[in-house]
Amino acid sequence: MSMSDKQRTGDGLGGFFEAARGHAPAPSPDLLARVLADAEATQQTGPGTEPARVRATPDGLVARFYRLLGGWPAMAGLATAALTGLWIGTSLPEGLIGPAEAVYLVDITPEMAFDLAGGDF
Amino acid sequence: MPLDAHDDVPDEALLVLFANGDEAAARVLTLRLTPRVMAHAYRLLGNRAEAEDVAQEAMLRLWKQARDWRQGEAKVTTWLYRVVANLCIDRQRRARGGSVALDAIPEPADGRASAAEAMQERARAEALQMALNDLPERQHQAVVLRHIEGLANPEIAEIMEITIEAVESLTSRGKRALSAALAGRQEELGYVDER
Repeated sequence: MSMSDKQRTGDGLGGFFEAARGHAPAPSPDLLARVLADAEATQQTGPGTEPARVRATPDGLVARFYRLLGGWPAMAGLATAALTGLWIGTSLPEGLIGPAEAVYLVDITPEMAFDLAGGDF
Repeated sequence: MPLDAHDDVPDEALLVLFANGDEAAARVLTLRLTPRVMAHAYRLLGNRAEAEDVAQEAMLRLWKQARDWRQGEAKVTTWLYRVVANLCIDRQRRARGGSVALDAIPEPADGRASAAEAMQERARAEALQMALNDLPERQHQAVVLRHIEGLANPEIAEIMEITIEAVESLTSRGKRALSAALAGRQEELGYVDER
């Protein structure tokens, strides 16, 4: 503080303030070392090494499966396909395919059926 | 970057360098700011060991704040003075009735003064510190910032988050109380009449 400040106090305190300014305790070498160590430790803790944020509610198996499939758009498509399949399955007219015709329906590889039967004819 | 290359760099710019991992900036800021922080903490607490703890904590908060430092909002020293004051007030409130460690007041660094003058200066500093410690917290802080740290009232107002008029009122009341407390010791400490 300048001399004018000292004079401005005008209350006999100027000399006390000056004495106090001259007696500021210097930091010890140990304190400086600790401050510098804190600084270096803070610098080493970069943004990439920050701990991951903890979720308020941990993920369940269903939530993880939901995300694995691709979220709501994929789930909507999946639900539509499932409902369509159900509708086709339940609305197929009865009697259209009888037991006899069903045999032919599963016989999709007649050559293999012939071989498997040991046919030599 | 070498240390002396940072000598003229403002604190705020050094803090940005620090946040970007510049080790020299960390060293310069440590050497530049720790003495000021330490001295201010001592003047508010009157105890060297506690002042060192506060200084370390205040500097640690600065390091942690570096990445989020908002340029142009406040000077680094203004921010530090506020942090130091808050830490000191917290300590004082936790440990009311703590005594002043007068023996912790350092010897004068100025070798030019004679031994008698140096002793008298030291006695004055001790007397003032004791009187300061008896002031209410806010008066104590305002008087130290204005008359020992030598800050201007607008900066003190920013540090204490009050108006300039309130700063003036606090320093004025603080000085009146100090004058009354030290009146009986002025002659003993080598002051006849400064007015």
